[in-house]
Amino acid sequence: MARWIRFLITVALGVAGGLYYGWVINPVDYLDMTPDSLRADYQADYVLMVAEAYRLEGDLGTAVHRLAMLGDTPPAESVAEATLYAVQASYGQADLLLIQQLADDLQTWNPDLETFFP
Amino acid sequence: MSEERGHWYLVTGLIIGAALGVAYAWFISPVQYVDTSPASLREDFKEQYRALVASAYMLSSDLVRAKARLDQLKDPDINQTIAMQAQRSLAEERPEAERHALGMLAMALSQEALPEATVLNQGSSSSKVGAGPNGLSLTDSPDLSTPGSSITAIPTPSSTPEALYTLQDIHLICDQGQNQPMIQVQVENASLEPVPGVEVFVNWPGGEENFFTGLKPELGLGFADFAMIPSITYTIRLEQSVQQVPGLAAKECELAEVERYWGFWRLVFVQK
Repeated sequence: MARWIRFLITVALGVAGGLYYGWVINPVDYLDMTPDSLRADYQADYVLMVAEAYRLEGDLGTAVHRLAMLGDTPPAESVAEATLYAVQASYGQADLLLIQQLADDLQTWNPDLETFFP
Repeated sequence: MSEERGHWYLVTGLIIGAALGVAYAWFISPVQYVDTSPASLREDFKEQYRALVASAYMLSSDLVRAKARLDQLKDPDINQTIAMQAQRSLAEERPEAERHALGMLAMALSQEALPEATVLNQGSSSSKVGAGPNGLSLTDSPDLSTPGSSITAIPTPSSTPEALYTLQDIHLICDQGQNQPMIQVQVENASLEPVPGVEVFVNWPGGEENFFTGLKPELGLGFADFAMIPSITYTIRLEQSVQQVPGLAAKECELAEVERYWGFWRLVFVQK
């Protein structure tokens, strides 16, 4: 076998080994993540906390801002997904009501009004 | 000739390949993580998460749930972290609701003496434990659908009902290590034990602020401090207390008529 072919084979083996090391043995640490990478149950609890804070503060604009942390998904959709998860996970009735209240109020939320009437 | 060169070129190829593979795996196409936990969040998101936990705690007064949520951050010293964030929120003039929530949560954590039975017996809630993230034991909050039901905030155990504090001692302390005029408040109960969670009001012409004792547990549970501006005269008052301490202005200390530095006022309040 020509020397260059053997060289290429070892390079390929090296690449395979490097990929295995970098992806499996010592991957990049998963730090500095954003909330949109949270597992579904943590996202649902996050939405519940937003609903609890909204119930206390009554500020829908702030609630929307907090929900926006969950990524590009529209806030109403994030709440809908959280509601679905909460029902499946047997959240307490009071918690479900809080999330539902937030969902209902989001239906009528007008971001343009929020700008003019902060 | 070629046999004399040996097989070192193969080792070189292996090393080059490994370097390329690692570089690709780490920088060009690193592992994408999904389904992470709050512990992996970036620090600013963690700060927002903690503030949200505090806000949620203000509604439910459920410290067990708040602690379960904070545990997800895997912070070995979460009490201190919350206390420091509460202090920062005051300094950074964060929204009042957030400052208050963080302050109350910090105090509750520093005491960790809230009885669970008090939480479960509020309103008409059952004691059923609902499933939560990662198997957290999240108790139900009171049934909000029942007409007339309301969420009763748990009284702050640090402030006994109708507690009245009187000023027992006030003096100016000269400490060369202090380069900022300060007002330090120490609050103690009738047994001279420090009392956290006491709200301290400070006002001055054109302004006012409030803070709580116990946010710096390393300095004492009954301790609170406030940075003064030299040209302003302040008045201090505690919650549930009609007594005011007016006329507090920054004062300089003198060291052998050569060096001057700011002293700090130390006020000690004791429960009657």
